[in-house]
Amino acid sequence: MITLNAVTKLYNEGRPNEFAALQEIDLTLARGAMSVLRGPSGSGKTTLLSILACMARPTSGRVSIDGELVSGLPERFLTELRRTTFGFVFQRFNLVRGLTALENVMLPTVPLGADYGQTRDKAMARLEALGLADKAAMPIEHLSGGEAQRTAIARALINDPPILIADEPTANLDTALAEKFLAILAEERAAGRTVILTSHDPRIWEAEGVDRIVTLRDGRIVEGELAEGVLGEDVA
Amino acid sequence: MIFQPPILALLMVAALAALVALWSGAFAIRVLARWDMANMSRAQLRMERMAELVSTLFGAVMLAELAALLLFVFNSDRMASLFVGAMCAVGTLNVNAYGFPALYLKIGVFFAATLWLILDHADRLGRDFPLTKVKYAALLAIAPLILADGATELAYFLNLHTDVITSCCTKLFTPNNPGLANHMASIGEGTALVWLSVIALAVAGSGAYVMLRKRGYWIYALASGALFVAGLTAIVATISLYIYEDPNHHCPFCILKPEYGYFGYVLYVPLFFATAMGLGAGLLQPFANIPSLKGKLPGLIARQVVWSMIGFALFGLAVIWAIARSHLILFG
Amino acid sequence: MMTWARRQRALADYTLAALSRRKGKNIALVAIFSLVVFALSSAMFFAAALRHETTVVLRDAPEIVVQKLIMGRQDLIPGDVVETIAGFRGVTSAKGRLWGYYYDRINGANYTVMVPDDPALIPPVGYVAVGEGVPRARGLAWEGAPLFLSRYEGDLKRFDVDRTFSRDSALMTADLVLMNPQDFRAFFDIPEGLYTDVVATVRNQNEVATIVTKASNASPQMRFVTRADIERTYQKLFDWREGLLVVLAGAGLLAFAIFAAEKASGLSAEEAREIGILKAVGWDTRDVIAMKMWEGGLVSLGAFLIGTVAGFAHVFLFDGVLFAPVLRGWAVIYPDFALAPHIDGVQLMTLALLTVVPYMAATVVPVWRTASGDPDAVMR
Repeated sequence: MITLNAVTKLYNEGRPNEFAALQEIDLTLARGAMSVLRGPSGSGKTTLLSILACMARPTSGRVSIDGELVSGLPERFLTELRRTTFGFVFQRFNLVRGLTALENVMLPTVPLGADYGQTRDKAMARLEALGLADKAAMPIEHLSGGEAQRTAIARALINDPPILIADEPTANLDTALAEKFLAILAEERAAGRTVILTSHDPRIWEAEGVDRIVTLRDGRIVEGELAEGVLGEDVA
Repeated sequence: MIFQPPILALLMVAALAALVALWSGAFAIRVLARWDMANMSRAQLRMERMAELVSTLFGAVMLAELAALLLFVFNSDRMASLFVGAMCAVGTLNVNAYGFPALYLKIGVFFAATLWLILDHADRLGRDFPLTKVKYAALLAIAPLILADGATELAYFLNLHTDVITSCCTKLFTPNNPGLANHMASIGEGTALVWLSVIALAVAGSGAYVMLRKRGYWIYALASGALFVAGLTAIVATISLYIYEDPNHHCPFCILKPEYGYFGYVLYVPLFFATAMGLGAGLLQPFANIPSLKGKLPGLIARQVVWSMIGFALFGLAVIWAIARSHLILFG
Repeated sequence: MMTWARRQRALADYTLAALSRRKGKNIALVAIFSLVVFALSSAMFFAAALRHETTVVLRDAPEIVVQKLIMGRQDLIPGDVVETIAGFRGVTSAKGRLWGYYYDRINGANYTVMVPDDPALIPPVGYVAVGEGVPRARGLAWEGAPLFLSRYEGDLKRFDVDRTFSRDSALMTADLVLMNPQDFRAFFDIPEGLYTDVVATVRNQNEVATIVTKASNASPQMRFVTRADIERTYQKLFDWREGLLVVLAGAGLLAFAIFAAEKASGLSAEEAREIGILKAVGWDTRDVIAMKMWEGGLVSLGAFLIGTVAGFAHVFLFDGVLFAPVLRGWAVIYPDFALAPHIDGVQLMTLALLTVVPYMAATVVPVWRTASGDPDAVMR
């Protein structure tokens, strides 16, 4: 369970161009559920996701994961926590060029000092499960969009994190690939993983298995009819 | 001054270490004034990140100082041919009043930097960085030591005049000359060995005690420090005699020479390492009960004691081997 | 401990892959760095080899040289001094020596002309034995060609070359011309009973100073030079020249350090993105610093090895062709000889400190700056 209390995030604090990406957010996301953060661009989705996933510290307010307060932790422990708790799939996949798919999947394990052979086997198993066994030795720039995304998913899951996070995962995919991606997410959720997404893709909001939709506007959470209004604008 | 590459290298290391000391000293003052883990401001985040740089720099300074310490002794030994009366490092270090202080300060800096890194490591185990202020207060104490080391070394090299007639180990480490070195040499061969064995037993005993009881590490640290002194004294008073196979040659430096198979390193490296680890265990003990360190620190301290005892054991084996293989018979 | 080793191994693996991905940049870096190490190591090896050579040559030199001074200038010494010196307790032998310099007007070279101490080396009357530099300077093409020496306009004296010294340890013998005492006295017009100087050998090294003190009191107009004095002078001379070259190389090193710092801080967009990704997938600032340190370590280790081996080859296989004029001196006759390979821990350690430390120092701050980027940067 991730809980946010009165979380505010200011950028360019104290300067003339200061602005609040998030204001006084209170939010609780349940374990084992699939939650979607939606809202127009600039509404603070990505900032909220960064804070949920311990990638950034809030300017004020409290963040706790399973009851443990994490917002005051030094960066070093946030990283440690992130490594063991979260798996990320980024909008632009963020794979390292020049490395093979397998090497990319293994990246998060480098600082752990885990046994190399075991890690490689685990990474291969992940790639196999996602149908990429034959692409493992291929440099990442030779993969198609869908393959690259599945590699990114394999990388997100390599340390077996309880929470999977994806930022606009379907933005660069056609319908068929988007459906395939949603199927993978549903599988992971069924396996007990918590899934948190940001998206302004209606295919995702309406997908099966989505338990919760949180709507953001101008750095605040909006609910009910108001939320529908926000959507209308955005889709139009 | 003698214009020589090893001297230039040593001065360069000293200058860089002094720069690091000055800069991190200034940073330490800022940390002591403003460090606040509860504050999530950008400034605090920047300080946390700067702290990473300071740790990295200190690690580098410790390594460079360790290499410099070896080179300093090594080079002093080699330069002996430039000075009338010098036959090994002792003669070179005696050319002016700064030589031995520079060496002692170098050893001091090495121990201080190692202990600081141990403290740094412990601090980083706790989720709230509980030792940060202690650590940076300690850094403020170490910085002047590093500066003094650099200054003394510079003074030493600037005042190296080859026309000075110096006195070497045969004069310095002789029982009938006043001074600390002669004090060490004048302790009876037997007495020094007995003291060494007694203190070694004390180290082993306190080591066993702290491993079983998981407390009283300061006793072990104290015993380690005592064993360091006893070890150095025994090297001057007795062990060197066995290595040189000469009942009158008390020099602690000649054993580093190739003629004696670099045996000195086999003695000094484990002794220094074990002492640093033992002192580190005592240093960390007062912090073992800090809530955020409770889970990890006792394990770290226990490991340090184990490493320290291994180091002392290696030193002991080297001593026994030096005596056993020697043709010199002092007793019996 | 295991975890630590495995982490380092994984970081090293990653770093190697990263280095090979940016081949062009890294090869350029290693190449320039190697060149700096090469300059430094050549200078140091050369000077050390010369020092070593001097020690070897001086090992057989007499402990004490006695010279007669008149008005502060060296003068011919009467033969009876030999007996006085030999009379001191502890002196094994004392001998008068005949030697001097000869300026060759034909090619502008200076030869050292002497009568050897060892009777076996004294050539017959009318013959000379020469160092290998002399026939080279004279362009004597064939073995056995005679050597003509001219003292003044219109003078020409013929000597047959009895033998030429081999090139082993030619530092001291390159410009040497050995003569029979009879020829020497005739050639330089030196009366019987006078010598250039007197040399004495001493049984116990530790007594040299005492003997010199006693002898100075007995003959105050003489100057006593000990072997240790000569050795010290040579050592200082070579040290000083070596230091000079090292300072010059140091300037190169400084330029390189600036270049390296610039390279390390001027990250390409690609690299900056890569580090952002690493931090986002769970690398700590420390991990990135450690990875970059591996990078620096591998680059400097590579450059250190290449530069040191190249410097070693330059000095000991190619006779240090690039630096020889500076380190040996500017005499017309250079000794032409292969230096005996000589290398020690002090040199390697000095070299490592002089090259790796500045590189690390120049790159650590840029590396840290890179590593402490925000992990969420890749999401924006």
